[in-house]
Amino acid sequence: MIILGTGIIFSQGMGVSALESALRKGWIKPSEIDAPRAEGLKRPVYQVDLDAVPDRTLLKKIRRADKLSKMSVLAAADALADSGIADISRKRVGIILATAFGAQVTTFEFLDGILDYGDTAVSPTTFSNSVHNAAASYVSSSLNIQGPTLTITQFRFSFQSALQLAQTWLNQGRCDYLLVGAADQYGDVLGYVADQKLNTATDGRIKPFAFNPTCQVPGEGAMFFLLGNDRTDNAYCSIDAVYTNGTPDCGKPADINIIDADGMLMDESAYLSLLAPDILATAYSPIFGSMMIGGAFNLAVAALMLKQQIHYAAPVLHNPHSLLLLDKTGPAHIGSLRSIGCNCAGDVSEVLLSRT
Amino acid sequence: MNRTDILITGLGAISAAGNGLAETLASFALAKRNAGPVTLFPTATDCPVFEVKGLPQEYLLEGQRTISLGLVAVDQALAEAGLDDLSGFRVGVCLGTTVASQLNDLRFYTSYRQQSSTSMVAVDRFLKGNLSEFIARRYKARGPALTVVNACSSGTDAIGVALSWLKSDLCDIVIAGGADELNHIPYCGFGSLGIVNPGLCSPFDRDRKGLNLGEGAGVMIIEKKSIAQQRGKSSGLFLGGYGSLSDAYHLTAPSPDGVGLKASLRTALLEAAIAPEDVCFVNAHGTGTFDNDQVEGNVLHEIFGPDLKMLSTKGYTGHTLGAAGGLEAVFTALGLREGWIPASAGFLNQDEAISLAPVREKTAVSGCYAVSTSLAFGGNNAAIVIGRGDNK
Repeated sequence: MIILGTGIIFSQGMGVSALESALRKGWIKPSEIDAPRAEGLKRPVYQVDLDAVPDRTLLKKIRRADKLSKMSVLAAADALADSGIADISRKRVGIILATAFGAQVTTFEFLDGILDYGDTAVSPTTFSNSVHNAAASYVSSSLNIQGPTLTITQFRFSFQSALQLAQTWLNQGRCDYLLVGAADQYGDVLGYVADQKLNTATDGRIKPFAFNPTCQVPGEGAMFFLLGNDRTDNAYCSIDAVYTNGTPDCGKPADINIIDADGMLMDESAYLSLLAPDILATAYSPIFGSMMIGGAFNLAVAALMLKQQIHYAAPVLHNPHSLLLLDKTGPAHIGSLRSIGCNCAGDVSEVLLSRT
Repeated sequence: MNRTDILITGLGAISAAGNGLAETLASFALAKRNAGPVTLFPTATDCPVFEVKGLPQEYLLEGQRTISLGLVAVDQALAEAGLDDLSGFRVGVCLGTTVASQLNDLRFYTSYRQQSSTSMVAVDRFLKGNLSEFIARRYKARGPALTVVNACSSGTDAIGVALSWLKSDLCDIVIAGGADELNHIPYCGFGSLGIVNPGLCSPFDRDRKGLNLGEGAGVMIIEKKSIAQQRGKSSGLFLGGYGSLSDAYHLTAPSPDGVGLKASLRTALLEAAIAPEDVCFVNAHGTGTFDNDQVEGNVLHEIFGPDLKMLSTKGYTGHTLGAAGGLEAVFTALGLREGWIPASAGFLNQDEAISLAPVREKTAVSGCYAVSTSLAFGGNNAAIVIGRGDNK
C-alpha cells in the first residue's frame, strides 16, 4: 500500500508546505484561550484557524458544515491535490475517516438547544451536523467521491485501524484508491475534561520523552492520506505493515522510531520498553497538540521524511531517559520508519513505512 | 477463497420484537407490534417508540444501555455458535452504533453548563464505553476491533468489514453487527427533521408518515469455514457479499435516482457471484419515511424485478439506527433458515410512485440467497448477501 498524497490542516496552517515549515521552525507556543469554567484561567490549545485558509472555494460549498467537517474536507481535498493524480474523482475512490470524539462540539451545541428551547424546538441542521459520519459525508459530497465511505470511532488506535482496513479493501479490489484520514476538534468541554483528568502543560510544552509525569496540550486538525497499490512519481512511501494489537515486527530494524506520546496518558513509560537504544527516536506531538488520533499526524511527518529524505528534529528535546533522539534537521538516508502507539490498556500499535 | 467459505455460525437479537430468536419469530409470526410511549426518559412529545422491555437484570450497566443490549445479543450469538471460550482464536469485533459513540449525557452537560463541580462519572463511562472496544475487552477478543459509526448503515457496514477482515486473514472469527439504545438526543433530532411518525410507522405504504425510533442489538458470529470445521461446527448460512457506496449527494436525503444503493447492491451481488434472480427476498431498509421508501422501492424493482419478495422489519422494531443493519441481517438469516418471512408490518396500500410492494402476510420463501439493505444519513448505502447451503 503506497501513500500517494498527503493532506493536512493543523494549527500552523494547511498543506504539506505548512507542515514542512512547522517542522523546520520547531516548537511554537500554543495559543492561549479562555477556559470558560475557570474565570481568568487561560488554557493552551493548538487550534486550527479556518479564517486563514486562503482558498475559500470549498469552504463556501460547505458553509453549513461544522468545523470538524470543514477541516476534514480541506485535508481530504489537499491529499487528492497533493497526489497529482488526474481525474481522480472518476476513479473508484473510497473514504475511511477515523475519529475519537467526532462532532462533539456540535453535539453539545445540540444539547444546548434541548436545554434552552426544549425537545421540539431544536435545530435540524445542528442535529445533522452532529452525526458522527457527517464529516465523511461532506468529504464524499463536496469532492464527488462515490466509493465506500466509512467513519470509525475509537479511543484505541482508530487511525491505525483505518489503515489496516484500507489495506484489505485495496487488496480485495473494493476500490482503486482510498482517502484515509483522521480528524478531531477541540472544544471547551473536552478541554475541561482534559484539565480534570490529565496534566495540562502550563508552559504549553508537551514533553513526549518524559513519560512520567506527562503533560498535554489539546490539539485539533485533520490529516488524510491518499492510498493506492500502484506507485507514482509523486508517491511518499509504502506502508508495509499495520498492527493494532501487539508489535510482532518490533525486533525488525527500522531507521527511526516515532512515538505517539503526547500526554494523553498519565504514564507513558510503556514506550521506553519499545525503543531500542541504537535507533533514533522522535515524536512530533508538540507541533500538533495532544490528540487521540495524534498517530495520524506523526505518520504524516514520517511519510514526508521518507519522501524528502530529510530528518526533522523532534521539536521538544527534553530527554530525562537519555534516549537517542533525532535532534537535528537535515538531509539523511532513511530506508524505513516505525510509528508506535500505546494506550492505557497496555495495547501497542505499530505501522511500518519504507521508502518506495 | 470460495464464495461460501465465510460462515455465519451464530445469531443473536434483542429488540422490541423480542429477546432472542424464538421470541422474535413469535412476534413476526403473529405480526405483533410492541410499540408504546417513551418510558426511558422524560419528553414533551408523545410519538410511539419501540423500546426493549425487560432487559435482563444481569446485563444492566448504568448509563450504558447500548452496551447492555449489545452484550445480550453477543451472548446469544456466541452460545449458538458454541463458542464459550475464545482463547486460541483470533477473534475480531466489529460493531456499529450511533448513540454509544457520543458524549451526549444531558445530566453531565447540564452540570457542566451550571458551572457546578461536574462529576466525571459520565465521562469515564463514555471513555470506557466504546462499543467494540468494550466487547473486545469483555470477551478477551484479541483480534482487530472497530466501531463503525455510519449512522443508519453502521450495522450492515460492520458486517461488511468483518467479511473483509476474514477474507484477508486478519482474524479467524468476528463478532459483528450493531447495537443502539433509544436515546433522548436522536429522539429530539429526528423530531426536528420532521420525519417521525406520530402514529405507527408503515414502511412503503402510500400514506406513510415517517419512522418510529427503536432500540436493540443484532449480532452475528462470522467465521472462516476452516475454523468452524476445526472446532466441529457446521452451519447452513454464509455471508456471500457486501457492497457499500455513497450517493455523494446530500447530508440527509437519498439521491433521487438511488445511484449509491444500486451500486452497492450490484457490488454485493458480484462478490457473492450471483444474479439478481438468485435472490429469494430482500429485507429492505424501509424506514417509513417518504424519500427513503420511494427511492429504495424503485431501486429494488429496477434491480430485482416486479416479482421480488420484499419486506421491512422496522414495523416490528422501529428504526434502531446503528443496530438496524445488525438486527436486519439476523432477521434475513432467520428468514432463509426458517423458510418464511413475516408480513411487512404497517403496509396497507401500495404507493403508485413505488413500483414494488412489500409482502402483506407471512410468506414462504425458498431459495439460497437473500439481501439486506441499509441507507444512511450522509448518503451511505450498504447491502449484504446472505446465503443458505450445505456447509458441513
